[in-house]
Amino acid sequence: MIKPTADDALLVRKRDLKNNYYSITFKPFTSAKKCKPGHFIQLQIPKTDIFFRRPMSIASVSSDGDIEVIFNVVGRGTKLLANLEKNDTVNILGPLGSSFSNPKKNEEVVIIAGGVGFPPLMYFATELVKSKFPAKQIHFFYGGRSKDDILEKSRIKKLGLNFYPITEDGTFGEKGLVTKPVERFINENEKSKLRIYSCGPTGMLKAANEIGKKYNIPGELSLEAPMPCGVGICLGCIVELEKGGHARVCAEGPVFQIGEVKL
Amino acid sequence: MKPNLSVSIAGVDFANPIMTASGCCGYGEELAVIFPLSKLGALVTKSITLKPRLGHPSPRTAETSSGMLNAIGLANVGIDKFVTDKIPFLEKQKTKIIVNVAGSKLAEYIEVCARLNDFERVDMIELNISCPNVDEGGMEFGADPKMTEKSISEVKKVFSRPVIAKLSPNVTSIVEIAKAAEQGGADAFSVINSLVGTAIDIETWQTKITNNKGGLTGPAIKPVALQMVNAVYSKCSLPIIGIGGIQSAADVIEFLLCGATAVQVGTALFIQPDLPVTIEKELKAYMKRKKLNSIDELIGKVRKY
Repeated sequence: MIKPTADDALLVRKRDLKNNYYSITFKPFTSAKKCKPGHFIQLQIPKTDIFFRRPMSIASVSSDGDIEVIFNVVGRGTKLLANLEKNDTVNILGPLGSSFSNPKKNEEVVIIAGGVGFPPLMYFATELVKSKFPAKQIHFFYGGRSKDDILEKSRIKKLGLNFYPITEDGTFGEKGLVTKPVERFINENEKSKLRIYSCGPTGMLKAANEIGKKYNIPGELSLEAPMPCGVGICLGCIVELEKGGHARVCAEGPVFQIGEVKL
Repeated sequence: MKPNLSVSIAGVDFANPIMTASGCCGYGEELAVIFPLSKLGALVTKSITLKPRLGHPSPRTAETSSGMLNAIGLANVGIDKFVTDKIPFLEKQKTKIIVNVAGSKLAEYIEVCARLNDFERVDMIELNISCPNVDEGGMEFGADPKMTEKSISEVKKVFSRPVIAKLSPNVTSIVEIAKAAEQGGADAFSVINSLVGTAIDIETWQTKITNNKGGLTGPAIKPVALQMVNAVYSKCSLPIIGIGGIQSAADVIEFLLCGATAVQVGTALFIQPDLPVTIEKELKAYMKRKKLNSIDELIGKVRKY
């Protein structure tokens, strides 16, 4: 566990990504330099009676302390976050949890992102490219219900990686679920060493987990869970492990190995 | 003059009156990364049972108005693993260690407490006779004066250091149970454990936690806790550790005025894990401003109409 900080930061940028999706950037996040892709933060919503912080995955971090989250308005907490204005103060606790491990140089990176599960994977791909990992070895499969659910398209494409958008209604990219094009890719690249990284709705994580097990491809899944504390002390966000017993999504996770968790 | 924050309960000296509440700090390992545990008067561990317990399935917590419901179900490593894996860490901490003990049968409490007696660094035991989450026991112990008295007197036979009775608010008369605990030989009270409650999702009509009911904690229960601390303080003579919704030094002071000698911070740690550090600073500042030299000058000093 990295020692997290809990300090106030200002909202410096808010972007309405349409369809109830928002990108919010805060500054300065004290522990920006400690963040790794996969880590998350806990945001305390100001000026409300909302009791607990809200956990958010990290979409980007700059070395001078900008931290960005991208989220979908799903309830009262996220609605209040979306209503924050420039210069509002938010207390940020983090970085928290486990992070993605780096692929080996000769591996092809298969990213399976679903809906609003894409931010930590975009952060991961960005950092890989920054670290000189060849962008052409990164394959970013991004599924959503419709065209408006595939966010930050140009930003992801700009990384120079292989981008495969998929929508259930076929309004953008290939029509259907992400699993089909992912399996097709795996079959076409039988001889390559692959590694999966996935984050998204439970159904998609289950599929990514099954694909990993079926084709014997190692990889990691980032899970989501409602969590009161985020630092491993309340035991409220447990998942069942395949080997038996529980793990805390906030402490042992949110990043787990394929085959580790009962989904 | 520098205010002195130290307090003493049943012959055990604490650097300050701020403790962590059981079930809100695990076995201390996570909080130790965030702040030095020497800042605490004491660390109170998660409830330890004879056998390891996984607890209830997810979801086992729900956010409520000014608080939360939880039915973790006494998830813990069990006494064997606690002794081998957790005590060595706790022994190194420069704070007092209170181990909370739970069980479903009296024999289980006795066995766990007897094992803990071997570890000198376990300064006190806090007996969870009031956990609302275990169907087969727990609650009945703390709701029945005779069982309360018996369980404490039996534990006192096997554990040579002070024993704290953690009282349930889910009883007709907390004073009656407190008196029974006193009769059984308890050395102090923790007042209060969580209040039983529930919450429902109106879209699915389903209860929000798998155990259907759970313990309500957080600022929502503070007024109830304050009143119960004062009721026990008025009728019994043992020292009291006040618990229930503490989020600031102001809350701590209210508990002290109602008769608590020390307090435990619980649910608020989930929002601000280093809150005890802030509270200690604020408490010192308050004592300076009020020209108080010791915590004793506050205990039970509430002015009533």
